[in-house]
Amino acid sequence: MAGFLGLRIFGSEPFPFLFTRDTLAEVEQLTTGTVRYPLTKILIRIAAQHPDNMLGVMCRACDERALIELCKNSKLRSDKIITIGIPCTEELVQACKCENPQPSNQITAAGPIKEFDRTDVERIASMKLEQRFSFWTGQLGKCIKCYGCRNICPVCFCDVCTLEDQPLVQRGEIPPELPSFHLTRAYHMAGRCVDCGLCEEACPVDIPLRTLYRRVRESVKELLDYLPGEERDKVPPLQILGDGLFEIKE
Amino acid sequence: MENSPRFEPRIIAFCCNWCSYAGADLAGGMRLKYAANITPIRVMCSARVSPHFIIRAFQEGADGVLVAGCHIGDCHYLKGNYIAIKRVAILRDLIEFLGISRERLRLEWIAGSEGDKYARVADEFTEQIRGLGPSPISQILFREKGKETAGVTKRKEGGL
Repeated sequence: MAGFLGLRIFGSEPFPFLFTRDTLAEVEQLTTGTVRYPLTKILIRIAAQHPDNMLGVMCRACDERALIELCKNSKLRSDKIITIGIPCTEELVQACKCENPQPSNQITAAGPIKEFDRTDVERIASMKLEQRFSFWTGQLGKCIKCYGCRNICPVCFCDVCTLEDQPLVQRGEIPPELPSFHLTRAYHMAGRCVDCGLCEEACPVDIPLRTLYRRVRESVKELLDYLPGEERDKVPPLQILGDGLFEIKE
Repeated sequence: MENSPRFEPRIIAFCCNWCSYAGADLAGGMRLKYAANITPIRVMCSARVSPHFIIRAFQEGADGVLVAGCHIGDCHYLKGNYIAIKRVAILRDLIEFLGISRERLRLEWIAGSEGDKYARVADEFTEQIRGLGPSPISQILFREKGKETAGVTKRKEGGL
């Protein structure tokens, strides 16, 4: 292993840090921390610069799901990465409403697995159409277009982003056009979103983004039978043409 | 809009060059009468219809969007329509969750010989959208920008 990407204590706060042979002494400061970072996203950059090196990464369950998706999208090579699974603390599991906080390659004892919490999705799905639309315009209208949701998203990896494409998204307009900006991003989450919830955590104006993307995740599961991050051997259905047997049922 | 006697929806139809656009052409050639609310846009394949096009159409105030392509197995590019249907299915779920009826987005397979089907779909879809009323997006555009016609926005620069 040429390097290990984990969290290191600086002062009193943990930050992402790449431990290498030269900085072995600093392993003393290695921590699992109580905060989350999209470590796999940082790993993409490091791996791009050192394609031949073996890299280690600290993985929470959400990081691992993201890693699976990133490997499928040829952003990382699974044979060049060693994961060290970290189960989340009870408080973190509660805070994230995490459905499955168990990474596969774990070094400590296993924690609980929870049921998929659908309350938020159901609450919105039970509204009437007009109500739902005004709920979302109210929520999305708060957007200050900081791009925080995109920047922190572990599975947003494109070099050129649609959300910065001038014909589609007007520059300098706040809030962005309702609802096309968020609709575009939500569509892009189809077959990708691993439900880590970092987007909602990062959002400065508390838009319930995770609920929106959860619905997308559910649709992809219902329609195309694919749960991003959970299925190592399946090809993402939106990346392939498929067999043409899929039909729209009313 | 509310005061006008009958609501005339604006519908954007993305028609694939090889089947559906030929079907639309045939409908004209056969002198079939159908709703004038449909604005066809020719694209090379239904797979060319990126979800961004559909989202953009709704954002610009379209009350309905029709994606029309060749029947499964008849695609000029063999399998283009395989992906088009998956995209539309997901997008339909998504717009419904945001409060825009899923019926506003429709996918139809129309062959080059089905001029009558094109006319029928155009009529049916127009009636359906008329029943649903103006799209909620065009209503916010109308309210916020104070434009004379609902759904007509002027973009500063660029545009699709």
